Amino acid sequence: MKTRFLFPYWCRYLGYALIIAHVPAALFRNSLGFNSPAATSNAGLFSNHHVFFVSTTLAMAIGLFLVAFSKEKIEDEQISQLRLDSLQWAIYLNYVLLTVCLIFSSDKEHILLLNLWVPLIFLIIRFRWAIFRLNSSLSREG
Amino acid sequence: MKNNIRVERAIKNITQGELAEQVGVSRQTINAIESNKYVPSTVLALKISRVFGKPLEDIFTLEDND
Repeated sequence: MKTRFLFPYWCRYLGYALIIAHVPAALFRNSLGFNSPAATSNAGLFSNHHVFFVSTTLAMAIGLFLVAFSKEKIEDEQISQLRLDSLQWAIYLNYVLLTVCLIFSSDKEHILLLNLWVPLIFLIIRFRWAIFRLNSSLSREG
Repeated sequence: MKNNIRVERAIKNITQGELAEQVGVSRQTINAIESNKYVPSTVLALKISRVFGKPLEDIFTLEDND
């Protein structure tokens, strides 16, 4: 089956590596001497703080993209359908969350950051879960 | 939609994996089609019927609620 707009299979592992690499950078941001994203917007476009924030966020976003949209080992029409279903659920969840946040919170900056990774992470979890269930139904029937 | 892929496989004596390989999908997909959890596309259905050398409607049949 021909699939368009999907990354090769090995990109998934590159994606996981990028996400894992991003975690310590984000966790120890303050002890590395960088401010939180909210404070960086005033510091200028090419200040260290802003460049650090943009590069870590980009590493995470690209990593999530690679994981979410790389091919499976055997890519077929059922897998594509599961991925699209998961994408639909992710968009639903994202818009529900976005609406709730916009109603109850005025913290636009964090809403934006949340919006950056919620759909992709939910897509990945939902898709992996669907694949897991598919595989377990296979081993049940032998 | 119903299908009798499992029966046809038994007649031809091939496994799910072998059928999957011949039509270019994963074994999970063949399993899901056999247990009526997934409806294949027309292209895939035609490929499967070609493997068994039978017309499409001998393998896939519509149900009343389709």
